[in-house]
Amino acid sequence: MITSKTFAVTRRSLLRSGLAAAAASGALMSGLRGALADDTLAEVKKRGELVIATEMQFPPFDISDNGTYKGVDRDLIDAVGKEMGVTVKYLDLPWTSILPGLEAKKFDLCIAPVTITKERMKRYLFTVPIADATAALMKRADDKSIMKPEDIAGKTVGGQKGTSQLAQLKEFATKLPKPVEIKEYVDNNQSYADLAAGRIDASVNSFPNLAYAAAQRSDTFAMVLPPFGAPTYFSWVGRLDDKSLVDAVNAAIVKTENDGTMAKIQKTWFGQTMDLPQTVPEPKI
Amino acid sequence: MRPEIILHSFGYLIQAAGVTVAVSLAGIAVGFILGASVCMARLSGNAMLARAGAVYVSIFRGVPLLVQLLFIYYFLGKFGLEVPALVAAVGGLGLSSGAYQSEILRGALNAVPRGQSEAATALGYRRADIWRRILLPQALRLSVPPFINEFILLLKASSLVSVVGIAELTRASMNIASSTYHPLEAYVGGGLLYLAINLCFAGLGTLAERRLGVGRPA
Repeated sequence: MITSKTFAVTRRSLLRSGLAAAAASGALMSGLRGALADDTLAEVKKRGELVIATEMQFPPFDISDNGTYKGVDRDLIDAVGKEMGVTVKYLDLPWTSILPGLEAKKFDLCIAPVTITKERMKRYLFTVPIADATAALMKRADDKSIMKPEDIAGKTVGGQKGTSQLAQLKEFATKLPKPVEIKEYVDNNQSYADLAAGRIDASVNSFPNLAYAAAQRSDTFAMVLPPFGAPTYFSWVGRLDDKSLVDAVNAAIVKTENDGTMAKIQKTWFGQTMDLPQTVPEPKI
Repeated sequence: MRPEIILHSFGYLIQAAGVTVAVSLAGIAVGFILGASVCMARLSGNAMLARAGAVYVSIFRGVPLLVQLLFIYYFLGKFGLEVPALVAAVGGLGLSSGAYQSEILRGALNAVPRGQSEAATALGYRRADIWRRILLPQALRLSVPPFINEFILLLKASSLVSVVGIAELTRASMNIASSTYHPLEAYVGGGLLYLAINLCFAGLGTLAERRLGVGRPA
């Protein structure tokens, strides 16, 4: 039920109990909330500041470089803020805290990249896609035995628990002639560490995340091309009742795509440009 | 192992270590005030107060600090109580530590033989003087080693305050691990700083013990 960010079983169960508690208290408070019915977009404009949260441990989207926030999301949200005429305040929260925080209105928008899925669309309002999230594989640079995705048959692959990319890998593995042993990790960084150490043969994640990791440590890692998953996308998410805010953010994102800002950001972080749908696509997963 | 990763991020780690120390010191101070009050309530002889103190200890010692922090920061907001991140962090650490500290104090006070206050009463000391001159000096001395222990535990537990968005030492190490793809170096750097901080405070504790004559007959 989570994004393709950080979803350990512990984090997920915590989150789930958190959401249950939030739902329970939400039910208690719904009368009061309805009465207040504040418009987040109007509030953001009034205070001149858009408060966003993400986990700054998801390169190349969210990076904390010695305390300075960088990455695709940073560049894009800055452009969006400029378009909306507000400054942007960034919060760095562990994934566990982001969705409860969104519901508790601790910030206006979650800009941690979330893969669009049918299940998640029931709970959150997705923006238009900000990047490709298609599942892909990464191997050790010196491993000649994996040259295409199908070569993982009979091997061990690691990925982050609860991610849609890991779910797609499991699905993909059922079609292979030999079973794939799948190891689930609390976060992707541990999967990469075990790949480097030789405990697993490949790591699964979204294409942009892996391409960046492979470029950063090209001595250790290499991509397995092409991506094996169905085309999926990352979006940001807002609260279900914040349609006006998400609409304004969408308009700003589409503008960055049309005026070349998005292409510049993509060139910086992915080394190439890619076209994105300008509406929220119907999820295939 | 590439030590230059640690060196490159050293300033960031030191800054985060400063946050860890500051939040922990504030937490232990709040905890001491709460702990002393709860301990007084439990020893007051008033059944209601004693009961309330016992309930406090059960709750804040029994519920994981992580859950307390999430509750204070996220769920109080649902009831209209807006708690800033720093207040939630220090408050959570303080509330939890208060439960432990009250037990440290209670244990230390109970360790002073009853006969002493009975003798003092027989000699005509006023109640306030019994506390000030006989019970507290001995109890505080006895409680120095467990207090140092509690502080070191709290300092390490403070890694949990990252869930409310405070960039302390563990969080900074994780950020470095993910941005550099060198987790080993990042965690070794963070771990060494924790060790250095705790050795400093343990050293201060030893000094305090020596000065107060802990371990020597009173």
